[in-house]
Amino acid sequence: MAKSEMQNQVRRLRFENGEITQQQLADRVGVTRQTIIAIESGKYAPSLPLAFKLARSFGVSIEQVFQYDEQET
Amino acid sequence: MNETKVGSWLYFFLGLACFLIPGVVAVFIVYDKGISFLPVFMFAGIVIWFGLFWLFPFTFGKLGKGKKKVSFDERDQSIHKKAVMSAYVVLWLYFVAVCVIAWCIVGPHGSISVNVMPLTLLGGLVIFTLVQGLASMIQYGRGGKDGEK
Repeated sequence: MAKSEMQNQVRRLRFENGEITQQQLADRVGVTRQTIIAIESGKYAPSLPLAFKLARSFGVSIEQVFQYDEQET
Repeated sequence: MNETKVGSWLYFFLGLACFLIPGVVAVFIVYDKGISFLPVFMFAGIVIWFGLFWLFPFTFGKLGKGKKKVSFDERDQSIHKKAVMSAYVVLWLYFVAVCVIAWCIVGPHGSISVNVMPLTLLGGLVIFTLVQGLASMIQYGRGGKDGEK
């Protein structure tokens, strides 16, 4: 059975982009700070529009922010 | 505790109070003055009016787009949808259980008072509110079910 794993670089990109805070990033993409926390900790997989917004706010492609690994278990 | 979670608790207790108070008043009137259309319509009207509150969070994402400060986003919307769905499933199970229990108590040829109906409805609403609140709390506590490891 395939097990999906979503990984993201949101935290690293935040620090590489002028050390913006979670609240600042949340305001940029139009979500709450709690959602940014949940995304960074891998507890919440954002919708495609939000993933694009996050990538654009960092000025990178979506693949550079989110990685999907499919693992056979 | 974040702003949405506080709102969820408030929503939970307000929802309970909104249904419990008019529900108890309606049932009391029915038992005190006998069955009539007034308390039944009053209860039904209040239930429909406050029931609309459950629909508001589904549209918050659209309504709040112009606002700078976001307090309800897609994750909250997703949590709310799952909580309502859970409550809906439990509500159906509750109604099935009530029917089976009533059948077991009075038997296939027995009959029950119509006063049981508003009580059953009230119980269903309380259960719905409780399960919805509980499901929201569980999902917020776990960071939402979507993408959970």
